[in-house]
Order: sequence, then C-alpha cells, then structure tokens
Amino acid sequence: MASFDGKTISHIHQELHSHLPSEPALRTKALESLLAEKQLIDPAAVDAWIEMYRDEIGPKRGAAVVARAWVDPAFKTRLLADATAAIGEFGFAGHATGHLQAVENTPQVHNLVVCTLCSCYPFSLLGLSPSWYKSNEYRARAVRDPRGVLKEFGVELDEGTQVRVWDSTSERRYLVLPERPKGVEDWDEAALAKLVTRNSMIGAERELSPKRANA
Amino acid sequence: MDGVHDIGGREGFGPIVDKADDKPFHADWEMRAFGMKQASASATSWTIDWFRYCRELTGPVDYLTRPYFDLWLTTLAAQLIDEGYLTLDEVKAGAAAFTPKSSRPPQTPEAARAFVKSPRSFAVSVNTPPRFALGEKVRCRLDGGSGHTRLPGYVRGRVGEIDAQHGGHVLADASARGEHRGEHLYTVSFASADLWPEANGSRDRVFVDLWESYLEPA
Repeated sequence: MASFDGKTISHIHQELHSHLPSEPALRTKALESLLAEKQLIDPAAVDAWIEMYRDEIGPKRGAAVVARAWVDPAFKTRLLADATAAIGEFGFAGHATGHLQAVENTPQVHNLVVCTLCSCYPFSLLGLSPSWYKSNEYRARAVRDPRGVLKEFGVELDEGTQVRVWDSTSERRYLVLPERPKGVEDWDEAALAKLVTRNSMIGAERELSPKRANA
Repeated sequence: MDGVHDIGGREGFGPIVDKADDKPFHADWEMRAFGMKQASASATSWTIDWFRYCRELTGPVDYLTRPYFDLWLTTLAAQLIDEGYLTLDEVKAGAAAFTPKSSRPPQTPEAARAFVKSPRSFAVSVNTPPRFALGEKVRCRLDGGSGHTRLPGYVRGRVGEIDAQHGGHVLADASARGEHRGEHLYTVSFASADLWPEANGSRDRVFVDLWESYLEPA
C-alpha cells in the first residue's frame, strides 16, 4: 500500500539522488536489473511498450483523423461533438484519449495545447510527445506568451486572430483540428493526411499548404 | 503543492529548442525507462494522480534539470520503495535481497497492448447538480493546499467564466491521497488580459480544466 505521504516521498527522492548513478543510462540499467531480478517487471511487457510507441503509434493516426474531418462533414461534426468516439471509428481510442476534445482552427481562431503542470498528451492518437512539448520552456511560456512561442515555430498571426491556449489540467486531452489548406480541393483523403504534421495538431504549426510541405 | 512543477507563466525561460524533433526516443535507456514505468508492478492503491504527485516531489533542482524519462523512472523507484517492494539498501547494494509479492503484478505484454487500446473513463457520477452555470463568472481559490492539486498557480485568485461543464470526474487532489471520489469538472476560460499585465488589450484566452472545489462565485 502506498503511504500517500509527501514527506516520505521527498525523503526517498533525496536518498535516490545520492545512491543512484547520476548518468541516466547507468541509472536505468541499475534499476532495470534490480526490478527484473525482483520480478517487478516483465521484460517482454517493457518491450511491448517500446514497440508500440517506437514503431506503431504516432502522429500518422491523428493526421488520418484530421484528413477525414476535412473531407467528410458528418465525421467532422462527430469529431467536434465527441472526439473519443470519433477516433474510436479508426480504432485509435485508448491510452490517454478517454476524454478527448477536438478544438477547431478557423481564420479567426488559433488553438494551442499545453500541459503546464506535467506533460499530459493524447498518446494513443499522436504517439509520444515531442521533447519540446515536455520542456520547461514550453510549459512556462505557452500560457503567457503564446504569440512569442508561435513566432519561434514560424507561425505569424494577425492581431485579429484570437489565440486560445488549452492547459490540460484534468484527464481531458486536446486535439487541434487545423484548417484545410487552400489549393488542394481535389486531393483525396490519403494525400491530405500527408500534409498534416504533428506540430499542427498541437497548434505549433498553422499553415499546411503543400508548398510549405515541400519547402 | 506549491512546487517548481507549477511552471505556467514563470518568466526567464529561453527559446523553445528542438522544435523539429520528431523522434519518440533518443536513446535506448529512454525506451527502457518508459517501458518500465508503464509495465511495472505496483500496489493496487496506485493512481495516476499519486504518480504525478510523487513526480512533483522530486527535488527542485533534479526536477528542472534531469531528463524527462529519467524523472519517470526515478519516481517509479521512489513509489516501489514507498510500497515496500524495493528497499534503499537494495538500491545502494545494486542487488536484490528478496522477491516481493506485489498486490498488482507486473503487466504482461498482452495486458500492455490491451491497455493502450482501451479508452479509460475518469467520469464519476455525482449526486449534486453543478454549482456553476455556463457563462457564470468564477474566481479561483488562492490556496491550492499543500498536497497534489491541478489548480495551477497562475489562475489562483483570478476570475474566469465557465466555458463547459463535464459532469463528475475523479478529483485529482483526493485520488493522490488514495481516495476515489468524483466532483464536477469544468473548463474555465480566462481572458489573457486578466492573467498577465503585458496582455492588456489582448483578445486571447486561456482555457483550464478545473474542479468545483477550486472555484467560488465571482
């Protein structure tokens, strides 16, 4: 049974700081051999997690969902109403997407997602988060200086475009639905999906025209 | 808790780095640390909120400077020690002294794959109607309490308006103490101009998911 006591955990952290190797690879090796010997992990399950998030689950899933919303208005309506159910149509609902909300970019609105308190992210839809999303810099600045952050990502917004920042403080997760770019009216869903980037589904990219994709 | 993890709006942080990075992992140890944290045995009392609280309790310098998955793994080790499944003496010696019987056994590969495909609901039915109506102005409490909370410092004492009601959700603060209880959850919309002096005149907004006990009528 966990103690649920903060002071106990602080003390353990301090001890671990002193007694575990400082170098992350050595620290991991030391703990892995202990946990395996004590049968607290099944190495095959560790491998399964790695395979899923290294090889199988990534932002291509989110891109397929966005492209479907661009070509199928009924699907877009379902996605905006209940994103968990809508991505379930693709079999993508699962890890950290039990309460998913899609937020739509329009000419008047740009959405940006952050988790200031930790690093919450819709894993089963977008895969593991990029390192910048977990960084102290992004977590500190996204809520206070979103336009400055966006400028660093190459997103220049008109003064008239409202920025909406979504801080993921509960178990609800957010997917940004980017605008469909102009000039690709005759593209099919599969081709459109290739235009959709991971950063655009977090809100750190806005313009997805093919010209930009090829640049 | 009023820890260094509560970083939203803190100033002095520089440019965002690695903006084009698209790799889930950058070293083998990151993969192993991630997989271990996901698949480890635990006590059945384990909750995601207790994990978040234990991660927040990392020493402040380590919290801000050690790599991401290293923090996950070290937090896992702290929890296993707290649960009695691992000891500091074993960590110091680098050798196992006993094989524990955990109340929640380590995940199998099949269970790991099933977990990733199963959306989990944190909704909990609550017997009272929501206290706040859509569009109502609310003020966030100044005091976040000394345990785990999801009320970020930057909205404390600030006025926002109810943007959405989500019904009852597991209250993170209670769950981090091992209590399973629901409370109404809302999305509260704040004018950036009400949060940050330099946003004066801006139409931008910040949306934060907040539980009912964090809020009072404004």
